[in-house]
Amino acid sequence: MKNTLSILALASLSVCTFQAQADTGKLLLTGGVSSIDGAAGGGLTPWAVIGSNATSGEMGVSAFVTRTKTQDYALTGYGAAVGIHDRVEVSLARQDFDASTAVALNGIAPFGVAQSQHIKMDILGVKVKVAGDTVLDSDSLMPQIAVGLEYKTVSPGSLDSVLNFLGTKQSGTDLYVSATKLFLAQSLLVNGTLRYTNANQNGLLGFGSGAPGKDDRTLVPEFSVAYLINKNWAVGAEYRVKPNNLEALGRAAGLGDALAEDDWKDLFVAWAPNKNTSLTLAYVDLGRVVPGITGSRKQTGYYLSAQLAF
Amino acid sequence: MKKLMLAVTAASSVWIATPAWAQNAMATSASPTVLGHSLYKAFGEKAGLVRLVDDFMVRLLADPRTGLHFKPANQEHVKTQLVDQFCAVTGGPCVYKGADMKSSHSNLDITKSDFNALVEVLQFSMDAQGIPFSTQNKLLAQLAPMHRDVITVGN
Repeated sequence: MKNTLSILALASLSVCTFQAQADTGKLLLTGGVSSIDGAAGGGLTPWAVIGSNATSGEMGVSAFVTRTKTQDYALTGYGAAVGIHDRVEVSLARQDFDASTAVALNGIAPFGVAQSQHIKMDILGVKVKVAGDTVLDSDSLMPQIAVGLEYKTVSPGSLDSVLNFLGTKQSGTDLYVSATKLFLAQSLLVNGTLRYTNANQNGLLGFGSGAPGKDDRTLVPEFSVAYLINKNWAVGAEYRVKPNNLEALGRAAGLGDALAEDDWKDLFVAWAPNKNTSLTLAYVDLGRVVPGITGSRKQTGYYLSAQLAF
Repeated sequence: MKKLMLAVTAASSVWIATPAWAQNAMATSASPTVLGHSLYKAFGEKAGLVRLVDDFMVRLLADPRTGLHFKPANQEHVKTQLVDQFCAVTGGPCVYKGADMKSSHSNLDITKSDFNALVEVLQFSMDAQGIPFSTQNKLLAQLAPMHRDVITVGN
């Protein structure tokens, strides 16, 4: 994965050089922002848009950094995406999840979880636009449709013992189809994504579950809606259904709902002062995240993401 | 791109040629029949559209992405056509009598980037005329589907 990261960095550099000679021509904000997994979209969910400012016949690149903090956890993410001819998007992202709270697991069993443990996850994403145009087909209900995959590998450090106990795998692939439509006359963007996944907390707690938890991938829907206030500002909301693979395993182990996973939600405001820069600030509600070690409280907090796109 | 403005001006003829069933399907983009004259009024009727298009042409000529394409054109003629077209698609009392858009573009190299550049310049002009963003988008929703006929390269 490190090699892939360097390849993408090189690709980004070459695209930047290319940029010096040719401007890219996508309309403002129509490449979306960077989701936490690196794919262009909203914050928590990918959209059918292809990242970067490149439109047909052009290549572009985008890079992002995101920080999220809730009561008991924190996540830092960064990555880059290359957009090719407004048709194909390749993205790479790395997440660093502060799981310090997980040291409490040592009180349940001798897991040997280290203090201040972080979980790292790398995500390689590929997305292909298959039909439609988000912006320009404003005389029909036809959305832009894209299919994509996200290959994720997680490095849990000393939480390895916990993931083994849960029977989860340390890599997995999400498959998804997204449909995005800008209702231009109404200044309203709507996205629906159907994800086929067995990731626990997006993969940070591995993939699948030991019996009687859910090990196989299931289809989960994700929704985004954004209202464009003007050329530079948009507000919106997202809802992402989660598979909740581990709860049944936790119950069978006599832990009640200690391993329950809730849906993710957010309310966001995005600001694009120019074609190359966007900032997204959101209030996120991740529901319960391993409630057994967090007093069952909901994880709410802020999400701040900055993106550069060319 | 040279005839992009012709494409734009031909829009109203395409609109009129659109079958009734298709016009019904266009309800999502607030068709003129749905809007009545309210969008036309929001753009300041004929006088407002003339101001808008005068400014639009100045900006098209000044913008390096669009200037070369519009400099050789009969700009006064193009402006008249644009006013007629914007008037018609906003529900005003105008009829466009220009050339068919698709055939007039088939031999030109117009990319999506060219098309988007023109849209951006139009947005700047509408900003300069103080037209609210949501109103701007109602006009753009009428013009955007023309990309199918106007863009000849890689659409």
